[in-house]
Amino acid sequence: MTRKTRRLWIVIACLACVGSAAALTLRAFSSNIVFFMAPSQVKANPPSPDRTIRLGGMVMAGSLHRINENGTPVNAFEVTDGQAAVEVHYTGILPDLFREGQSVVALGTVQKNGGFTASEVLAKHDETYMPKEVADELKRTGKWDPRFGKAPDASSWDTMTAKKAGG
Amino acid sequence: MMHLPNHWPYIAASYGLTLGCSLVLGVGAALRLRKSKARLAAVEGHARRRERSAS
Amino acid sequence: MRPTPNLLHRYANPGQFLRLAHALLPWLSSGAILFLIVGVIWGLFIAPADWQQGDTVRIMYVHVPMAWLASSCYLGLAVCGVLSLVWRHPLADLAAIEIGPVGACAAALCLITGSLWGEPMWGTWWVWDARLTSMLVLFFLYLGHIALIRAFDEPARGQRAAAILALAGVIDLPIIKFSVQWWNTLHQPDSITLTGAPTMSMMMLWPLLICTIGFTLGVAAVIFTRLSAAIHESRARQLLARSRLDRRDSQVA
Repeated sequence: MTRKTRRLWIVIACLACVGSAAALTLRAFSSNIVFFMAPSQVKANPPSPDRTIRLGGMVMAGSLHRINENGTPVNAFEVTDGQAAVEVHYTGILPDLFREGQSVVALGTVQKNGGFTASEVLAKHDETYMPKEVADELKRTGKWDPRFGKAPDASSWDTMTAKKAGG
Repeated sequence: MMHLPNHWPYIAASYGLTLGCSLVLGVGAALRLRKSKARLAAVEGHARRRERSAS
Repeated sequence: MRPTPNLLHRYANPGQFLRLAHALLPWLSSGAILFLIVGVIWGLFIAPADWQQGDTVRIMYVHVPMAWLASSCYLGLAVCGVLSLVWRHPLADLAAIEIGPVGACAAALCLITGSLWGEPMWGTWWVWDARLTSMLVLFFLYLGHIALIRAFDEPARGQRAAAILALAGVIDLPIIKFSVQWWNTLHQPDSITLTGAPTMSMMMLWPLLICTIGFTLGVAAVIFTRLSAAIHESRARQLLARSRLDRRDSQVA
């Protein structure tokens, strides 16, 4: 029994070592693990124009428009995290999920004037899964506008839509 | 609500791959169990006969 | 065989395990088929489309169970590793050999279905964000385990090395789980958590739950079947080796 106990303790000690090593490594690299930077971080300390970064945030409602830059149509929109907004220019087809109020991640560089030129735009959807009918009903009754933020709590959908159907 | 293009190929591929792999794993395991049972029975029978002839 | 009064050792007895597997297998496999038929039909045709993802959200009903199974199979490998290193269970090593490929399949399917979901929704097949990368690491851990446990002529050495790898790799499981909370990733956070209410319609939660139960029962059935087969195979091998020894002895005599 003592040999078994000793082996058990050796295993536990090794696990603790590996665990703390991994935790320390992850802490040290945590800024590199971050997939994207928020607009306020970009505004606070702008990276140099030759560095490619990912910018993540919400497309500001009413900010999407098309402009002409040297004869080519460019999608221009603002990405915000609630504290700061960055103007993004992107030439190319936007993903299907792209809309105002949607979270996006743009890959590109920060220009000298503070704008952001993207070479790639990815749509980031949130963890809320809602039937289309519920979303339409919430939008129709004015209880939620997807352009201005997250959907209401899932547990409230039934009562929010049922009240309307009943009344 | 914007128009979403049809993504059924992606859905069909996901379900096809997942269910196909599950089927292959399940049937493969069942066949292997049957084969191993038959082989063990054969080997055991053989050993028993040898013992009987030896004694 | 020595009598083994310890509870832990009762199911390490291969004969005991064979009886248990024989009794459980019909229930596991029929349950898996039933749940999967209901779950897949529900998920594909009855569950509502998502308001922003449309029908593509249906990939969730196979993607999430695969992710869950890849993690739980690895946890199983780690438990087998402890049992093998500390208590030297013979059954734990056999189980580790049989669980590895099943878990690797689940991890591969999780990555592939995730990719098939990411391309139409995010606009990319693959990104190096924390969730996706840690899942890929899990897949490589499985491949390493499968290779290592078969790498040595003397099985015991490979089994011990693989057990150590399985234990060290367990650190990847919390990283996968919490990656979407600790760092900002392209992958969305979990919709179902232990503490909070699910951020998902019940009409989607039910098929997801049923598919997950179905796949879990199916994988349990596959592992039990493979392990039973492995026990039969090793018994046949032992008998053959013994009879070969007997023959050599009688020839010498």
